[in-house]
Amino acid sequence: MLSDSDYRAVEDFLYREARLADEARYADWLALWTDDGVYWVPATTAPGVDPDRHLSHIYDNRARLDTRVKLLQTGHRHSQEPASRMRRLISNIEAREAEGGEVVAESNFLIAELAIQAKHEVHWWVGRATHRLRRVDGALRMSGKTVVLINAAEPLPNLSFLI
Amino acid sequence: MDYKALVQDDRIHASLYTDPRVFEDEMERIFHRGWVFVGHESEIPAPGEYVTRRIGREPVIMVRGKDGAVAVLVNRCMHRGTLVCTAERGSARTFACPYHGWTYDLGGALIGVPYPGGYAALDKRAHALTRPARVAAYRGFVFASLHPDGPTLAEHLGAATRLIDRSCDLAPGGEIELSAGWVKHHCDANWKMLPENDSDGYHLGFVHAALFKTVRTQYQRVLGDERTIKAVVRDWGGGHIEIDWSPGYETPFEWLGGVSGAAVADFVAALERRDGPGAARRRFMEGPAHALIFPNLFLGETNIAIVQPLTVEECVHWHTPMFLKGAPQLNGRLLRMAEAGMGPASFLMPEDLVIASRNQQGLQARTPEWLLLSRGLHREVVDDEGRTVSHVTDETTNRGFWHHFRTVMSEP
Repeated sequence: MLSDSDYRAVEDFLYREARLADEARYADWLALWTDDGVYWVPATTAPGVDPDRHLSHIYDNRARLDTRVKLLQTGHRHSQEPASRMRRLISNIEAREAEGGEVVAESNFLIAELAIQAKHEVHWWVGRATHRLRRVDGALRMSGKTVVLINAAEPLPNLSFLI
Repeated sequence: MDYKALVQDDRIHASLYTDPRVFEDEMERIFHRGWVFVGHESEIPAPGEYVTRRIGREPVIMVRGKDGAVAVLVNRCMHRGTLVCTAERGSARTFACPYHGWTYDLGGALIGVPYPGGYAALDKRAHALTRPARVAAYRGFVFASLHPDGPTLAEHLGAATRLIDRSCDLAPGGEIELSAGWVKHHCDANWKMLPENDSDGYHLGFVHAALFKTVRTQYQRVLGDERTIKAVVRDWGGGHIEIDWSPGYETPFEWLGGVSGAAVADFVAALERRDGPGAARRRFMEGPAHALIFPNLFLGETNIAIVQPLTVEECVHWHTPMFLKGAPQLNGRLLRMAEAGMGPASFLMPEDLVIASRNQQGLQARTPEWLLLSRGLHREVVDDEGRTVSHVTDETTNRGFWHHFRTVMSEP
């Protein structure tokens, strides 16, 4: 059971992470990660899937996460030029202490993405995120973020923004 | 529609991408009459396992029967037309229609009809699930044609079986294995843009500029100055078209992101044992095929992809890593490469598909009516095996696709 202040810190972190991603503040978002972070978006909603045997949409270690962000920063990632206009809502937060002094926070999200790169359509992205958070030099950092979309196994449009 | 007028040797008409009547003709002439890739036998290794797919728009089940043989069944109850299987994959002992409980075995035979007294005489044997008129496989790749007549699969594939061989022979066990599941990428463009783009060597430095500026890939060195490029495109006939990067490769495993042989030592040893060091080294240099097997199978180097048309302006690009039987050490790497290269969150395909969508929008213009198809016409050559070959940036591949398209779309 987290203290109220710890819970509040987790909530603040999730809201800040969401805002940085929504606003395409790539460097600031990347700075939220630990060096051993793993960013995972499975291609299925089936529980217990092994990312070393099954294909994912994203399974980034820190090096690949850096590459992902660098691509966006070149200004030539056509699928995010210009960057999608996004706002995401986060709710149903459940946070608990985990091993190693980390906190695991699960939350539901709903993202409205205006994909303005071609058709100017709004795409809705809905799912549940699991953040693994660790205190580094007094501040919370992500050592893991897993995003399970409700339609993970369906045909998806471009997902080159930070989800 | 006069396809001989719409597809010319050096240009194609924009309506081929935008006219719903063309799409209807394609569903009939390419996806109903012709051979279409359905799936790979390795996706359903055990009896009872199945995957559901579409041939054009028609729903089918590819299933391994009790006897181990692979069958393709039309996914439509003989009674009232309901899908008898809605899962994307799974394992079953029977297929039971959820509407009135008609039940079929794994071979499609009707084995159960509830309340049979309602029929004076129902011949169950005449009400098995239907099957595509023709189903055939090559090295585990299962193809089907919904029409009884026409070329055999061997005639359809022609010499392009060598492209499939090039990929499969890389596996020490001689077979590829598609066991990682598929990612599906929705594309707001006509389906033909995917096979065309998959075999277009001209766009990489522009569409994929972000990646080229960020990390060093095997493509940068292979591309470079127009006059020194050695990679080629080939038209194998029958609509089967290829980019061959390998003439530009200088060291083994450039297709694997330039790993050292030591990093994949087990794979190297296994292939050298099987083929001898010289032949194995050639395979390590050349890598797998980068080719479209007309109309919907893309051998995407270390990936296998499917092009699934939806409507005249929507399609889906499926992909899965091409695991190599007998190379467990390598397959983890292939999995991570698949995620880097293909799919909606990858470092390559989102750019291809957003450009395809802009292409589809541009083609809404009524004038000009034509797209150019002439690049490289003056410098392509026919090699001694009858294949047309040219500079990797040339539209020899597009022409190969379109000229076969014109042939099948113009048949009586």
